[in-house]
Amino acid sequence: MGKLDPTVRKETGYIAAWVLALSLLMQGVFLLLGKWEFPVLTGNLIGGITAIGNFLLLALTVVKAAGGPKEKVALRVRSSMTARLLGQAAIAAIAVGVLHTNVLSTLLPLLFPRIGIALRPLIDRKRGKGTKQEHTAEAEGSDLIE
Amino acid sequence: MEMVALATGIMLGLCGVGAGIALIAGIGPGIGEGQAVAAACEAIGRQPEAKSDVTSTMIMGCAIAETTGIYGLIIGILLIFVAPGIFSGVLRSTVEALKPLL
Repeated sequence: MGKLDPTVRKETGYIAAWVLALSLLMQGVFLLLGKWEFPVLTGNLIGGITAIGNFLLLALTVVKAAGGPKEKVALRVRSSMTARLLGQAAIAAIAVGVLHTNVLSTLLPLLFPRIGIALRPLIDRKRGKGTKQEHTAEAEGSDLIE
Repeated sequence: MEMVALATGIMLGLCGVGAGIALIAGIGPGIGEGQAVAAACEAIGRQPEAKSDVTSTMIMGCAIAETTGIYGLIIGILLIFVAPGIFSGVLRSTVEALKPLL
């Protein structure tokens, strides 16, 4: 983890937090519906770890490719994307077909990073508001002092 | 009974074909991601001081683009593992309902 690019670490941490939060929410929904079983938990674990791992690999590939020659960048990212997609398909197929995990709880966590990214502008806007308020408060304070 | 076996076979085959077609959705995001990262390389080359911001936006953009491929993957997995069971049940109940008529 020490050698990771700070941007990659920050973004992966953000996505991991969202996957964890939404996974807990999903487990809660399964519990409320009375359909919670052990395969739901194992499926959620496999799906969640796959989603976070996929995002981490994507970020690492993009950061590495961005530093390389421009001609090879597109090819490198394309091949990485194909490999990651096939890897995800294999993991999901093994989890559902061999380990008999719950299909929904295995596949839904793969979409959790997208939900986290979609909600990001809202969080950023809230943070931006907070800093703006702090700035205005500071400015008002300095006016008063003057 | 032969008709039921034939119909089940056709249904399973079509589920496999559908899953294969769904996974074609993975091609587009790959090409798009490649172009996006190549363009980001140019941007970083022009403004090296904005590298952190460009990288962050690029990673998020790539993740969004990749979701399309994941949708296809999920549809493919559902067609392989879930749809045959549902369709078999529908087929069986349809045959049982039609039995008195035949």
